[in-house]
Parts: sequence; structure tokens; C-alpha cells
Amino acid sequence: MDQQKKIESEIFEKEGASQTENPYSVPLAIVIAGAIIAGAIFSSSSGKPFAPVGDNKKGVAEINQPQGGIGSLDAMKPVSAIDHILGDPDAPIKIVEFSDTECPFCKRFHPTMHNAIEEYGKNGEVAWVYRHFPIDSLHPIKARKEAEATECANELGGNAKFWAYLDRLFEITPSNNQLDLNQLPEIAVYVGLDRARFLQCLDSGKYAEHVADDLADGGNTGINGTPFSIVIAQNGKKFPLNGAQPYSAVKALIELARKEK
Amino acid sequence: MLFQALKKVFQKPLYILLACITSLAVFAFAVWLPNISLIVSVMAHPEISFSQKLNLPFILLGSIVTNFTLLSASYTIAIAILFGVNLAMVVYFLKRKISEVKRSGIATGFFGIASGVAGMGCTACGSFLLASILSVFGVAGMLAFLPLAGGEFGILGVILLGASLYMTARHIQNPAVCKI
Repeated sequence: MDQQKKIESEIFEKEGASQTENPYSVPLAIVIAGAIIAGAIFSSSSGKPFAPVGDNKKGVAEINQPQGGIGSLDAMKPVSAIDHILGDPDAPIKIVEFSDTECPFCKRFHPTMHNAIEEYGKNGEVAWVYRHFPIDSLHPIKARKEAEATECANELGGNAKFWAYLDRLFEITPSNNQLDLNQLPEIAVYVGLDRARFLQCLDSGKYAEHVADDLADGGNTGINGTPFSIVIAQNGKKFPLNGAQPYSAVKALIELARKEK
Repeated sequence: MLFQALKKVFQKPLYILLACITSLAVFAFAVWLPNISLIVSVMAHPEISFSQKLNLPFILLGSIVTNFTLLSASYTIAIAILFGVNLAMVVYFLKRKISEVKRSGIATGFFGIASGVAGMGCTACGSFLLASILSVFGVAGMLAFLPLAGGEFGILGVILLGASLYMTARHIQNPAVCKI
């Protein structure tokens, strides 16, 4: 028996010797894997914004694209009159959503936010603030142009038309940069706007800078993807929510914010 | 052979438990990752009740349905399961034949996990983890040239973990004896 163990031990040693051809494979793999995972977590949680690179006809992208500075929720622009707000602008709780109209998850999350306003907005407790965060590298040209189109709807028809236009846009876009931009004036007509005036506004590119400002604000806030929502309590406490989370998660954060007075 | 090795390992309930706990932990990590800072801040908040603290992470697990594509949800779940099974197999193996450990199998497993983690997230909207890493180097735009916009890394993770599992199973089934 002892003899057999000795033989096996010798075999193991020989095999071990043959394996020493690459003795560092496991430690190296662990180090590399650890570095990748740590990098992923750090990038994800440190709020380094996803730096869209893209093709922009107006050249605004190059001026105002977030460039990877470490963001902070405190750096976010305060909610003001230039924002698009659904619900009571004086509501104690505000949810600022950064969104991209060509992002399929923003499309999925849009009804979730409507549900929140349905439940908490009617009594003036919660207001929804919409800001643009078009990701050029994933949805070049179209996401920005669509964002500008919503601004034109706002100019021509006020806040109600902005939201009506946005709702319809999310409703019909197939997402992932698939919307035919010829649909933009059709949506304008659908929500009751004048086609010619809408096209004139859109072609002027006058809201490109406004969209870029929102994008820069998102970058400063540390956003790395869309949809990204920030639930702001009455006392200013902020709860960030990344992604198209279920309504129960939005509701849970609203309930937490309600206790912050 | 793989099936036989799995049967051999998972005859012991302790390894089933180890695989299940590990798989759940990896799954939860993947789903919570985009909202780690939120979870941490809620957990550290002194005025939030214990039940609410427990409730939020549980609710966020639901985002596997709302915040993942079918493809990314599939490989996220596959990676979690494969990782749990892999770990249980490796522990089983290490407890018996330390000198026989084939480093290549374990190394493949680690690369599989790393690749899978990098591939997690929403590829369509930029919260994809690899995009965050690449953006640090200013090359996030290269993802647009990949057919699955980076989902390839998740699939690679599944393949590498599968390969690792196969290698480990092979060594469990092939004890070091002199063949006649």
C-alpha cells in the first residue's frame, strides 16, 4: 500500500514538473481577471461618464461632450424653469431623468415614470424632470436630432406638447437608431403642431446647444448610461437609480425620499 | 464524462449548497452592479429602517427583466450558474488531489469570469461595463463596430467557463493511475 502511494506520489511530482512549464498561469489569470473586474466596478461606480464619441453635423458634440471627468450628483444643475417638468414644479420630490430617445431601455422605462406620476404626481408629491442624454456613439445623429425635435415641440406648443411629443416618439421608435427621421414632422402633426413651423425650427438647429448642455450636465453628474434617474427629496438628499428598473424600485425610492424632510 | 463528474461532485449536498450560494451571489452582484452606490448609501443611512434596507436590494433583482436584453440576461444567468458549478468542482478537486490541479482549467475559469463581468450590462444604452472601461481610454466608440456591441464578451465568458468546467471534469474523472 505504502509502495503504491509512493509510486502515485512520484507520478504526481512528475506531472507537477510538467505543469511547471507555465507556473504563473493561475496567479496571472487571477490578477488579470481581478483587474478587469475591479476596473469594471470602479468605472461603473465612480461615476465616470460614458464618453460618447460621435458624428454631429453641428459640431456641438466636440464642444460639449462629457469627457470623462469624475462626476458627482451634487454637480447636477438644479431644477429650474428651463426644465421640462411633468407634475407640480413645486413638488417636494423631484425625479430628474436623463434619457436618450433611441435607447430601448429608456423606451421601456418611460411608462414606468408615467406610472410614478400617475400615483404620486396627481397629489403634487412628485414631479418628473426630463433631461436629454443622447449617446452619440451608440445612436449617432438621430438621438440628438430627436432631442432637438422635442425642444421644437416645446417651443411651438409649450410643456404639454413637449410631453405629448416625447410620449409619441417613444411609442413609435423601434430604438437603437432605427427611427426614420422623416417621422419627426409626422409626430409633430400627430400631436397637433404645425408641420412647416416645426421643420423650420428643427432645421435651424437652434436647440442643439440646449441638448448639449443637458448632455454636459449628465456628464458632470457622473452618468454612464441611460436611463439614469435621480430622486431628489425635499431636503435635497439624492437617490440615484441607474437603468430601467422596475416600478417597485422607483416606488421604493420615492418612499425613502418622502421620509427625508 | 462531464455528467459523471457532476454526479460525483453533487452527490454531496455541501457542494450543491456551495454552487447555489455562489451562483446566487454572482447573479446578485451582476444585477446590482449598476446601482452599487445606491445600495451602499441606503445601507449606510441611519434613518432608513432595516426592512427598507433589505427591501431595496431584493426589488432591484427584478431589473434582470427590465434592464437586460434577452441575450444579456441569458448570459448573465449562464455565467452565474457556470461559475457556481465551476467553483464547487474546483473545491472538490482541490480537496482531493492538490498536486494534480491543472492550472489551465482554473485559469480559463478566471478569464471566463472576467470576460463575463466585462460583458454585463445594457449594451444599448452605455451602462455596459466594458463601455465604461473603454471610455476611460477614449475608445468606447469601437464597440459600435462589434456585431453585438460588446455582448460578445458575455458569450466569451460563457464559453471560457464551459471550457473550464470541462477541463475540471476531465481531471476529476481521470485519476492519476498507471494505465495498462
